Amino acid sequence: MMANAWQQYRALVSQGVRAELADLERLVSPVLFAITLLLLFAFAMGDVDDSLRIRVYLAETMLTALFALQVSFARLFEPDRQDRVFDLLRTYPVSHTALFLAKYSLILILGTATMIPTLVFGAFLNQTANQHLFSWSVVGISLLALAGLGALGVLLSAMTLKANARQILYPLLYFPLTAPVLLAAVQSSRLCLDGGRAASDIKAWLGLLLGFDCIYVTLGILLFTELVDES
Amino acid sequence: MFSVEDKREFYAGALLQFLVLAHWLGAFYYAPVDIHQGQVYRIMFLHVPCAITAFASSLGLCIFSIIGLRQRSESVMAWAKATAEVGLLFTILTLATGSIWGRPTWGTWWTWDARLTTTFLLALLYAGYLLLHASMPAGPGRVRVCAVLGILIFADVPVIYKSVTWWRTLHQPPSIIREGGSTMDPEILWTIVVGIVIMCLYSSWMVRVRGRNILLTGQLEAASFEQLNG
Repeated sequence: MMANAWQQYRALVSQGVRAELADLERLVSPVLFAITLLLLFAFAMGDVDDSLRIRVYLAETMLTALFALQVSFARLFEPDRQDRVFDLLRTYPVSHTALFLAKYSLILILGTATMIPTLVFGAFLNQTANQHLFSWSVVGISLLALAGLGALGVLLSAMTLKANARQILYPLLYFPLTAPVLLAAVQSSRLCLDGGRAASDIKAWLGLLLGFDCIYVTLGILLFTELVDES
Repeated sequence: MFSVEDKREFYAGALLQFLVLAHWLGAFYYAPVDIHQGQVYRIMFLHVPCAITAFASSLGLCIFSIIGLRQRSESVMAWAKATAEVGLLFTILTLATGSIWGRPTWGTWWTWDARLTTTFLLALLYAGYLLLHASMPAGPGRVRVCAVLGILIFADVPVIYKSVTWWRTLHQPPSIIREGGSTMDPEILWTIVVGIVIMCLYSSWMVRVRGRNILLTGQLEAASFEQLNG
């Protein structure tokens, strides 16, 4: 039974990745959207004082990543919806947990492909000769944030699949629900980049981030089954 | 003309209205003046009960959502929708009364404080829930989707509650439930506690009236649909 669920998961992930690769525009457009937003933010902020640079960099990149991920997540079920694959999958004896985990893995792949270029380009636009902003710890924190955002992304995509006003409803629900994850990610990244802060402060924020990741992933697994269950 | 249940609901509503008015009188004449803030602090007797009711509504929404999801019941979700409407109303009242208090105390109607921002997000979530409900056709699909969102909304309430502890905010930290007990004057504390109880009862009555109204609307729509289809 376990092997079955594992095989289903692998098949679903490979189907999802192939569908994404078949339509490269879907993979590239969130990254291009992120780069455009970063340029607009940098243009709007102008020359920033060195003491504010870290805050501005984090605000710009995290918000840009959030917007770009929303664009990417909102279209998660689009290929399945167009060909009614999702409706067929619901009627097949496919484990709903395997379906959720496959979509979640796909969202993590798509999210990482958007998140890392955003962080690199954001650091490139904001750094100065004596202040380098790219940090692997920030990349790690962003990926932790992605874990929570991704679980919410799958749930909300499935929830709004049949809503009439899907385009407006998705961001309306996504942005308020992601606020705790975003706040914890920004605060812990800021403390990491600032340096000289107590490790306990960073631990507290990372704890909050991990806590919400666990809540959203657990709720995702439990509630996704309810969402796709036709009975 | 009116059923026994309608009459009971009417009298219960009238009694609760009377209690709300009596509490306001107590807030003006029983509670003493604050030595630092003067008379302006009295809006807290409305603000705090509204805020607690707004948070309690999310708990109610979560409970109705779990029951609705387990029973796949459209009627339970009507109560959930009524709770979300009442929750939205009390969240807006909380923001409005907080803003009125903030102007003379902090010198501004609004500031991007953690508690204010997270409470505003709660209002957006309630509004999002109602929009999602309105944008989906009635049926088991709507029950499932709205129930899932109802549970997710409740997951955000601890952040709002703890925001004044986690961040350095303009909003004061918890003053009723805190380590070492409340430092409030007993007369002020009791007026607030009684206000919270009355407001929670009043909001429960509102949920009951609105929930029945939603159920009746659904029955009328179903009856007219049947009539149209012969």
